[in-house]
Amino acid sequence: MNMTTALARLLIFPGLLFAIPGAWFILWVERKAVALMQGRIGPPFMQPFFDFIKLLGKDTPPREGIGGMLMKAWPLIAVSAAAGAVGLLPVLPSSGGFEGDLILLLALLEVPSMCIIAAGFSSRSIFGEIGSAREAVLSVSYNIVFLLAILSIAASQHTFSLETLAQLPASPLRWLGVLALLICLPAKLHLNPFSLPNAEQEIYSGPMTEYAGPELAMWELSHGLEWVAATGLVATLAAPHVTFGWLAILIFVAFSFGIVLMLSAVASATARLAIDTTVRFYWQVTLIFAVLAISSALFMRFRS
Amino acid sequence: MSYKIPMGPYHPALEEPYKLDLICTGETVTDAKLHIGFNFRGIEHLAETRNYIQVIALMERVCGICSNIHTLTLCQAMEGLTALTPPPRAQYIRVVMAELERLHSHVLWAGIAAKLMGFKTMFMTCFELREKVMDILQAISGNRVNYSMNRVGGVNRDIDDPQAVLKMIDALEAEMLRTVIPIFTTSSTARSRCAGIGVLTHAKAISCGVVGPVARASGVGQDIRKAAPYAAYGEMEFDVPVQPDGDVKARLLVRALEIMESCKILRQALSKLPPGELFVGDGKFDFTKMVTTTSTSRVEAPRGEVMYSVSWKEGSRNPARVHVRTPTFAVMPAIRWMVLGARLADTPLIQASIDPCYSCTDR
Repeated sequence: MNMTTALARLLIFPGLLFAIPGAWFILWVERKAVALMQGRIGPPFMQPFFDFIKLLGKDTPPREGIGGMLMKAWPLIAVSAAAGAVGLLPVLPSSGGFEGDLILLLALLEVPSMCIIAAGFSSRSIFGEIGSAREAVLSVSYNIVFLLAILSIAASQHTFSLETLAQLPASPLRWLGVLALLICLPAKLHLNPFSLPNAEQEIYSGPMTEYAGPELAMWELSHGLEWVAATGLVATLAAPHVTFGWLAILIFVAFSFGIVLMLSAVASATARLAIDTTVRFYWQVTLIFAVLAISSALFMRFRS
Repeated sequence: MSYKIPMGPYHPALEEPYKLDLICTGETVTDAKLHIGFNFRGIEHLAETRNYIQVIALMERVCGICSNIHTLTLCQAMEGLTALTPPPRAQYIRVVMAELERLHSHVLWAGIAAKLMGFKTMFMTCFELREKVMDILQAISGNRVNYSMNRVGGVNRDIDDPQAVLKMIDALEAEMLRTVIPIFTTSSTARSRCAGIGVLTHAKAISCGVVGPVARASGVGQDIRKAAPYAAYGEMEFDVPVQPDGDVKARLLVRALEIMESCKILRQALSKLPPGELFVGDGKFDFTKMVTTTSTSRVEAPRGEVMYSVSWKEGSRNPARVHVRTPTFAVMPAIRWMVLGARLADTPLIQASIDPCYSCTDR
């Protein structure tokens, strides 16, 4: 991948120009799906876009010193990282990519979560701090499963390149990995039953409590981009490989759409779990997948 | 390191303003302080400046959820002052209204509890059901919040077609049995949020003097409808559900069972509705001829025992004093004991599990 294609992927497709409307669309689908399942009408199609524009137009109270600067910086870092993650997705067949871009994608996907933790503590609000602590505990819990799932997929298919993974036929181990990824997605996207860091009834909006205006708009955007990147990653791994460009995009979008609907259904059918139950859940699941991942890695190594 | 988290007076977990200062270590609550009085409106003083008939309309507005219970208790107290006995049909209609209100209140509470567990779908389901209860109340009284059904010596409106109301209640009960009750008793996420948290032991329940469903969930089997029957409750057959555990799940279960008992009472009251007058006398209230100077009345509201005490003032059209004691006021101090040692994430649900009504408490 040369500089021009890299920039094109980051800024145009599947990067910012495509991903931002995609993020708004996914946010709308999620809100609308949950609303319909709950017997409500739900927001109009353009609502996430309107929310974004409205927040951009608001003034925020000035914050002084390093804390204020940091609070401005965290959402921007989160948006850039999430956009970068989306840019790496191999939506178009044979669109480039490099050996190891899967690792970069995982690292970039983790940045928004770390920014949220840092933002909560920077805001110096008690609700923000509790939310950040919860996010940190949650992230330690689900990331073990998340990373092991990816590791087991990569080890079983001998590659850390997304493009190659997308082209290879799926092995049974990959389906297990995809399942593990799906289990982690609600926690990564702060959905029920793992919506602890922003448990409205307990700690308002957690790390976001002190945020308003354009900075909050950036957080919303980074959340939407996280949705696109995370569902896109699963769609890449799960969708069948086709060589025809438009069909590949259609299949990709359809799979992402299906994952959003599934996550919304889970979110609307469950209550929020408390932190210790959540941690126990992830560590119990972890154990199974840790054994699977390590055994598969060893097995593949002996065979080759 | 311990820190203080203020919950309220304005908080997404609270329906109405009150404040709970939680002292926490990590995610564990080590102490709690309760502050009330954010919604004080001076209604008891206002009642001293209104005549006996106006006081009924005033007291209906103490609470938006149990408005009928307040006028029922007040009218019973005033009937005690004048030695009036409402006719049997009025007594039955009072039972019907009180039980419908209990249904409405419990379903509303179930919705709020679901919301606090982060279970918004359940919240919507409960509020749809509540809508149906309100439709029945509207069909009977023409109103959805302040029904103005009670008057001194009887009721204002008749139930013209009890069979139609019975049909609505059958539909409602089927819906409850299909959705709310199974989800609250069997859903695993709901159970994991409710079982074993916010425990109020039997001994603590007695020493705090809690009332209503909270007391019954801690194994204290007291219910004014059974212990001191008023209106037509003496002629109804029903059980008082009691649970020994004292946790949030027990409170949930007690209310779920009470919903079923209320349906049972409603069916009896509507099918046995006796013919006759709706009220005694010509509708005038003779405040010059009182048989006693102070009269009290106790009623089992959805949240527990409500007591009204009305004092007569010689030569005045206004009562000397209208004193109200609401169940939430009796139950609130127990919150402190329930949240001790609880997880911070559970405190909104624990405080809501007593079904607090600050509008009643602060007046």
